[in-house]
Amino acid sequence: MHSIAIAGLLPVAVFLVVALVVAVLARRQAAAGGGGFVTEYFIGNRSLGGFVLAMTTIATYGSVSSFVGGPGQAWSIGWGWVYMATVQVTALFLLYGILGKKMALVGRKLGAVTVIDVIRERYQSNALAVLSAIVIIVFFATTMIAQFVGGAKLFEAVTGYSYVMGLAIFGIAVILFTTIGGFRGVAFTDALCGIAMIVGIVVLAFGIRSAGGGYANIMDTISTNHPEMMEPLSGGNMPLGLYFTQWLLVGVFTFSLPQSVVRTMSYKDTKSLRSAMIWGTVICGAMMIGVTSLGVLSAGVLTGPLESYGGSIDNIIPTAIVTTLPPWLAGVAIIGPIAASISTVSSLLIASSSAIIKDLWLHHAEVTGKKPAERTVMRSSQLITLVIGIIVFVLSIVPPSVIWKINMFAFGGLETAFSWVLVGGLFWKRANKTGALLSMGGGVLAYCIAMATGFKIAGLHQITIGITVALVLMVIGSFLAKPTEEKTLSVFFPAK
Amino acid sequence: MLTYRQKHEQANREAIATIVALAVTIVVWIVCGFGLSGLDVTLFHTPLWVVGGTIGTWICSIVVVVVLAKKFFVGFDLDEGDDSASVEAKGEKHA
Repeated sequence: MHSIAIAGLLPVAVFLVVALVVAVLARRQAAAGGGGFVTEYFIGNRSLGGFVLAMTTIATYGSVSSFVGGPGQAWSIGWGWVYMATVQVTALFLLYGILGKKMALVGRKLGAVTVIDVIRERYQSNALAVLSAIVIIVFFATTMIAQFVGGAKLFEAVTGYSYVMGLAIFGIAVILFTTIGGFRGVAFTDALCGIAMIVGIVVLAFGIRSAGGGYANIMDTISTNHPEMMEPLSGGNMPLGLYFTQWLLVGVFTFSLPQSVVRTMSYKDTKSLRSAMIWGTVICGAMMIGVTSLGVLSAGVLTGPLESYGGSIDNIIPTAIVTTLPPWLAGVAIIGPIAASISTVSSLLIASSSAIIKDLWLHHAEVTGKKPAERTVMRSSQLITLVIGIIVFVLSIVPPSVIWKINMFAFGGLETAFSWVLVGGLFWKRANKTGALLSMGGGVLAYCIAMATGFKIAGLHQITIGITVALVLMVIGSFLAKPTEEKTLSVFFPAK
Repeated sequence: MLTYRQKHEQANREAIATIVALAVTIVVWIVCGFGLSGLDVTLFHTPLWVVGGTIGTWICSIVVVVVLAKKFFVGFDLDEGDDSASVEAKGEKHA
């Protein structure tokens, strides 16, 4: 594979430096703004405006899998994969519309900083809070590793520099700017990353178009070589069951992903939420449809069998970048997927850190009456963020295989764990501690066992098992045990 | 000005409207994608179902969201809590 010159690395380097500067500025702005450290560091003092809210949600949600794994699948399956990816247009409005205002109201009333704060208060259960923290840390760690691996592999394939060097360059950058900037820094760098992702898509689109001799030519090549790629079921490669489960996995249930939900507690006012909902849907749709389409269109340029591209669909987009773009433009194009990778990592990193600091340590300190000094909390928060970042970084040095599957595994696990606990907590008065514990514990266990053994019902992805078990257990548990106390419920379901 | 309770009721209504918006999007996605896939029509060398199922669904979702935001979502102050605080205090006294 040909490598790009040092000049080709320049765009990535400039981008990372700008991100670092943005994080430092965000930190300064935060320090000037006042407010308690924990609220500022983990939730940006509830001050996000519409545009940043939309971009940080999209950038967190859109990962390196959307840029590498997804388009790689589209290269082999065809337009059906893009049709399936289109379901993601619902992700933002479901999150903001279902949970947006409830979480903002309840969060402010309780002074909650994390999603787990809200869950703990609603269900009055420390066991549930600890279980939530463990689920978050484990699944977030898996996702972060997948992001690092995806980003570094792409870097290696495109630039010709080593995997570890790529990992070091953007891994250290993201760990640093998250540690320094906190949630506010993450949100602002996310906005920057979102823009970079769009630029990356546009640049690669031009590259593929010109390498393939124009759009019409590319489409004709694909329909001649692989007519099935022009059909929604792709000659049996894209069964209806897959459409159904993808609707659940990357459409309907994404509203419950805790890394997204925490954003509904961080915005300034209802006007911001409304504009984020509109702009977010416009941008998210354009991005997901656009980037996945690039995978299909690559099939008009990369016409060999998969073996000629290293036998992995993850190599398709990197190969498309190096074969269709001149080195300096390839350098610009890789900012897209790298931005997608680091914007997801930064959000998961700060949320993992909040789970440890706020939900485990500070809560324990409060209960035992040993409240640490603000300065200690500040130091510890940054230290924990740094340490989690380093652990994930080290684990990423030996990479696992297909990226998008790992990402989907974590997506499914988090959705199984949090969907009914959040929906029940905010919308169903009868939902109680027993139901929530059973739902999260039993659902995740069923999902992981099904995933590990490859057990499927009717050939459907295991999310169907996880989400159904979690729902059934939530209902059974809630009816078996006594209801939550009225006093607790008054915040969530205010009486007349 | 809405009380804390009224704000929650409004948020519940918005959540239901959002589910309806989801249902509309799913129907449009099915009709414009699978529904059109039987036709042997292409637009700019692209099968019509691809245009309908992807860009069509996207445009539909934007329309749905604009309607949601403008017609169903009501703006209110997330912070002020004076009247709601008094409501809560009364509730506690009764309990």
